[in-house]
Amino acid sequence: MSMRKLLGMTLTVILSFTLLAGCSGQKSTTPSAESPAPDQSGSASESPSTDPVTLKWALWDWEATTYYQPLIDAYREKNPNVTIEYVDLGSTDYMTMLSTQLSGGADLDILTVKDIPGYANLVKQNHLEPLKAFMSEQNIDPARYDGTVEQIVMNEEVYALPFRSDFWIIYYNKDLFDQAGVPYPTNDMTLDQYDELARKVTSGSGAEKVYGAHYHTWRSAVQLFGILDGQHTVVEGEYDFLKPTYERILKQQEDGIVMDYATLKTSSTHYSGVFYNNSVAMMNMGSWFISTQIEKVKSGESQATNWGIVKYPHPEGVEAGTTLGTITSLAVNQKSANKAAALDFLKFVTGEEGAAVIASTGTLPAIKNEEVINSIASMDGFPTDEASKEALTTATTYLEMPLHDKSADIEVILNEAHDSIMTQNTTIEQGLEDMTTRVQLILNN
Amino acid sequence: MRNETTINPKTIRKSRLSKKTREHLIAYSFIAPNFIGFALFTLVPMVFAFILAFVKWDGANPMEYTGVSHFIRLWKDPTFHKALWNTIVYTVGVVPLTMVCALGLAILLNQKLFARDFMRTVFFFPYVASLVAVAAVWNFIFSPTMGPVNNLLHALTGVPIEDLPRWAADKDWAMFTVVLFTVWKNMGYYMVIYLAGLQGVNPELYEAAELDGANAWQRFRNVTIPQLAPTSFFVLMILIINSFKVYDIFINLFAGADNQLNDATRVLVYQIYNTAFRSLDYGYASAIAIVLFLLVLGITLIQFQGEKKYGQ
Repeated sequence: MSMRKLLGMTLTVILSFTLLAGCSGQKSTTPSAESPAPDQSGSASESPSTDPVTLKWALWDWEATTYYQPLIDAYREKNPNVTIEYVDLGSTDYMTMLSTQLSGGADLDILTVKDIPGYANLVKQNHLEPLKAFMSEQNIDPARYDGTVEQIVMNEEVYALPFRSDFWIIYYNKDLFDQAGVPYPTNDMTLDQYDELARKVTSGSGAEKVYGAHYHTWRSAVQLFGILDGQHTVVEGEYDFLKPTYERILKQQEDGIVMDYATLKTSSTHYSGVFYNNSVAMMNMGSWFISTQIEKVKSGESQATNWGIVKYPHPEGVEAGTTLGTITSLAVNQKSANKAAALDFLKFVTGEEGAAVIASTGTLPAIKNEEVINSIASMDGFPTDEASKEALTTATTYLEMPLHDKSADIEVILNEAHDSIMTQNTTIEQGLEDMTTRVQLILNN
Repeated sequence: MRNETTINPKTIRKSRLSKKTREHLIAYSFIAPNFIGFALFTLVPMVFAFILAFVKWDGANPMEYTGVSHFIRLWKDPTFHKALWNTIVYTVGVVPLTMVCALGLAILLNQKLFARDFMRTVFFFPYVASLVAVAAVWNFIFSPTMGPVNNLLHALTGVPIEDLPRWAADKDWAMFTVVLFTVWKNMGYYMVIYLAGLQGVNPELYEAAELDGANAWQRFRNVTIPQLAPTSFFVLMILIINSFKVYDIFINLFAGADNQLNDATRVLVYQIYNTAFRSLDYGYASAIAIVLFLLVLGITLIQFQGEKKYGQ
């Protein structure tokens, strides 16, 4: 074989290997400037080892999330031998990306779990390290997570621990209420009162139009008003109970009380934008928006400078403070080469220390003691009225998507049917019937 | 060093392989880079997909043989029917319209017009432009309440904005909007193919037709069209195949922040993606993929037949 041919073939082989090489965006975090001297690491007695370790952390929206870097910095202060690299998989379809990466054998160590259906899938795929033994060994009491850990038990095992726990509240624009001469929303509103209030505060037209309320294009922002009475869940396979909810919201849409769903969707309008530019008087959204809104008011991006929060509206006869919740958790890749180090990091982030760091950035951690609530309510930029602080306490919290073996499949169906109903592609009756038929197929499969 | 002198140039050339075999090997070595790529990234996954269509698999746990149950499920699955139907409607809308527009433009820009090259660039530009960017602009222009299109229509016709079509946001207009978008985006590319085809038409044919007293329409009808038949055939096939494989355009125009299409806009490839990666049902997704594959294969076979007919 001539040299030239050999060279050609070698190049071809090399080329095909470069094509195969991974292409995920990975970045190493800059070690914090004030890294302590190495000898201080002796104080961190739980630290499994002092050999240099590099952990890879799968997460989303690195740039937009305020607490990732502080968490890493705080951890590295005690464990300077650990370097933490992040792999940002993006927030759209994050759980899909994560599951695909893990099935492909990606060398991720720490996994952020964004939602329950994705969690159920990862467990079913055997990607997550069981944590029960670790928890009892390290004296991690699940009770401190307010009952959320019990809701994610699968096969009598726990595969993730929450570090954030958010719930839905109403954000409102005080200036718009003042202008309309309508009293502010309160911490105890029924759904009918909320509807009435939204209608009262709607005014104007064209560019000057103020919408009384705003529903983001997520299914959870509309559909889940229907589960607040505790009578039904969205995984049970019967959906007639959602009819009054859809009727109320579509009526509001028809009457111009809220923006049109289909328009919001095709223009990919983000909920924060319409709140910032004073287009909506009230908006139901998760508590994660608190820290963003505070920050954007400071930076001048949000013109809704005079704002407040109140508890979620509830059905007649249900306790005020009943709301929807969602948890964000950490898990460890079962195939991780640095399991001990990854577990130690997980323990830190989901523990009291992590909670304090997260709360300091204005985000609600999963461990919610009085200290945490006070820390958030006393943040510079948090609304000063008493009602807003009171809104941070909840009564019953229903998970947006309860854990179910088929919850990922069910969610796809619910999302699609919701989309069809909200764009008026189908009638409410047809849409709900479609949900029922298709979910029944999944449940009986 | 001593051996050097013993090498006879003739023995080097003389190989155990015959000349023909050697030539074949050389030819294959030239094809190899492309073929290895094809085999690794297309052939193996394709064969794998065929296997997957007959098993239940979530990407991690062991596969479970299910026979043809996926195909029986396809037969009864309303969402699949909807996706197939939407794909067909889209194809029927896009293909003829693109061909007519591309041919018209090609003939127009084949004349000696003022700023002809510039105009060619103008019509080709949408094809080169980034889909994500132009889809965003398109959605803005066609925005139901704030977009210039509806405001212009409102100003011209006096119909209140609320009663005008909501374009991409409207279940009845969504398909029309996406067809319009696709034609606008891709006609420049097919225009270039037609322009190339037009260069191959023998000018003497036009002269002869003119001498026989044929008018412009007759010349177009009886010279241009038949002469362009192979080109048209090629364009037709590529258009149909691309329309069946459509995904990116729908996602960018309709899906919004959570990548979700509804009944009015769901297409086959989206259905495959959703089933495989969101529901982790790789088996069923592969079954849908096979249906799509068979459809495209059928069209390709027709093309091969046609190529023989319209042969070089």
